[in-house]
Amino acid sequence: MMIELCDSGAIRDGEITRVTAPGFPAVAIARHNGALYVFPDRCPHADESLAEGWIEDGRVVCGVHFAEFELGSGEVHNRPVGCPNLSFFRCEDRDGKVFATLAVEA
Amino acid sequence: MPDLLNIARPFGDLDRPVDVETEREVTRWLHLEARLLDAERYQEWIDTMIAPDIRYWMPDMDTRRRDDPRGTFRHGESAYFDDSWHELSVRVRRYNEPSAWADNPATRHAHLISNIEVHATDDDGVYAVFSAFTNVRNRNEADQDIVHGRREDVLRRSDGRLKLVRRRIFIVQNILLSKNLNTFF
Amino acid sequence: MRPVYPRASSYPDFARLVDRDKAQVDRRVFVDKAIYQAELQQIFARAWLFLAHESQIPNPGDFLRTSMGEDDVIVVRQRDKTVKAFLNSCPHRGNRVCMVDAGTRARGFICNYHGWSFGIDGALRGTDGKVYETDETFEKAQIGLTPVAQIDSYKGLIFATFDPQAPSLEDFFGPFTWYLDIMLDNDEGGTEFVGGAIRSIIDCNWKFPAENFVGDILHAFWTHQSGAQAILGGAVDLGKRYDELAFQASVYGHGIESNLDKVGNTRTLGYPELVDYVFDLSEKARDRLGDIRARAIGAISSCTVFPNFSFLPGQNTFRVWHPRGPGKIELVAWTLVNKNAPEHIKELYRKGTMMTFSPGGVFEMDDGENWEYATRVNEGFVTRHQPLHYALGLGTEDAASEMPGHVHRGSLNDANQRLFYTRWAEFMKYDNWTDLQNGETAPPVRRAQAAE
Repeated sequence: MMIELCDSGAIRDGEITRVTAPGFPAVAIARHNGALYVFPDRCPHADESLAEGWIEDGRVVCGVHFAEFELGSGEVHNRPVGCPNLSFFRCEDRDGKVFATLAVEA
Repeated sequence: MPDLLNIARPFGDLDRPVDVETEREVTRWLHLEARLLDAERYQEWIDTMIAPDIRYWMPDMDTRRRDDPRGTFRHGESAYFDDSWHELSVRVRRYNEPSAWADNPATRHAHLISNIEVHATDDDGVYAVFSAFTNVRNRNEADQDIVHGRREDVLRRSDGRLKLVRRRIFIVQNILLSKNLNTFF
Repeated sequence: MRPVYPRASSYPDFARLVDRDKAQVDRRVFVDKAIYQAELQQIFARAWLFLAHESQIPNPGDFLRTSMGEDDVIVVRQRDKTVKAFLNSCPHRGNRVCMVDAGTRARGFICNYHGWSFGIDGALRGTDGKVYETDETFEKAQIGLTPVAQIDSYKGLIFATFDPQAPSLEDFFGPFTWYLDIMLDNDEGGTEFVGGAIRSIIDCNWKFPAENFVGDILHAFWTHQSGAQAILGGAVDLGKRYDELAFQASVYGHGIESNLDKVGNTRTLGYPELVDYVFDLSEKARDRLGDIRARAIGAISSCTVFPNFSFLPGQNTFRVWHPRGPGKIELVAWTLVNKNAPEHIKELYRKGTMMTFSPGGVFEMDDGENWEYATRVNEGFVTRHQPLHYALGLGTEDAASEMPGHVHRGSLNDANQRLFYTRWAEFMKYDNWTDLQNGETAPPVRRAQAAE
């Protein structure tokens, strides 16, 4: 089931925004070249907030140990030891609202 | 050949070791050079062992992260030596002055050369030579400076004599642990 | 965890080691360990110190490591293009968080010890993960790398101080900026450093090279005879108009001596194209700087910004003498060029400073041993009780000069060195900037105003 997260107009290009939906862990929403991306606001390496990181060259950069995850595929670069890839939630922009399926996809 | 003489270009892995006789000849050349430098016979050194088109380079060594694209050194940035024959000859002229105080009283030198590898190149009579060195300078009562490093030389035979055409010198120090470099390497 | 900026004290006994009346300096200032510790407190923890040239760190995340006194410091360009500087020491166990000389596009600095991670703004971004986060008493927001108290730049040169009370950088220079502009503002487009830096160790007290550059052209004729012979084929020539034009000038201990001979320093680099370039530059700079300063761009001259930042106009070597104990310095030297200079001119400056003022250069070669033994002999107990003579040119003050600061006639003069040590004594004596900025070394106009 898709959950409504926020107004899509609030998500500016090149930025990462932290959003919480009742009953779910915080998620991060990013917009890059117009496309929306929704992912857990928790770096798979050491649980730090990815919303406190930034987007660079099409990658989410974790601001703590500088792991980089490709937007879309989630492939990790500059990988700290033991850091897996990042998973994304399925999301869409429906009538100016961001909706996402907040279950970790396999 | 032009590539080999490009001072900014490393040798890489060379795999054409020369015959024993050539290796002996080049080794003797390097030992003779070290002995001339030990004896501060700089004029003789530049006149008889250095080719007129010499490139002689010793960059400063930065401490950088392994993933830093610039690396430890870069040609075109600061260097201890980045000399043509003109610059080397200016340095030699200073040594020839009696008021070269950093060498008066005289410095005691030892240039130790080892790890010599001699490789053939695409040109007959042009050799690519790896070596390592320890340079010890001691002066006055107890002032001692030691510099270790590696060299990548190109030697060229002309008129039956070997001469140095290119030398890249990489020392192991970041901050030079000496006040000066009153020698050649 | 708030930054702790150590407070200044007062050391009148040390200040008295500089005897203005007799123009003598007590040699204990070069070897005494207690005096050296007082210097770290009174001078290096208070004065504005040179960090970097803007051109070394042009983009966000570009950084370099340097020192302020003996304190290890990171200088890093922020995303908003400003520059910040921090102590290079993790607030957890103190380890260095940056181990390299410099780098580009850093995301931050992670301590190798426990993985504490700091952003380029110095703030703690996180730890090794999963341990501190479960400690409810841990307050990340309160922790960061210790910033310098103030940071500012002047025409491309970035300076910082650990003293929140220090006056602005502009006030610290006072009217000495008039002289700094000879090198920093002689061409539109500003300046830059050639890449890389040459670092070396000299076993001398930091004040010997600083006083050498503040006003000791005298030594050049004896010390550097061999270098001059090698490059020029003869002695350095002070020119026909020495008596009329040569001067020393000092403000707050910063000092410059110049011969106004246009190209004497540049000539010693050994490349005629550079001499031509400076002749043209000097003509062009007349509108910008006026006649006197246009003549100084390449002239036989030298300069120290108190306490330990020095340069040579015309030869374009810029350098810091970092103290490493009373008897040791780390010298870091760069080459400054005008951004608009043609590439081959920049390349000749790079080679010229290498050939002259670098460890293998024909001039610097002979400086080090003099400073080392001027320092080391004072280990002799009796020796260090013999004062040193700084009395050349006692009657040469040029009170009528229209140039800023304390101006003396003739560059062969100890005047700037006397004022350098007077400034040193002021830092030893005064615990506040009001006294520091209104003492004997203050520019004459300001002193007159303060007296009223």
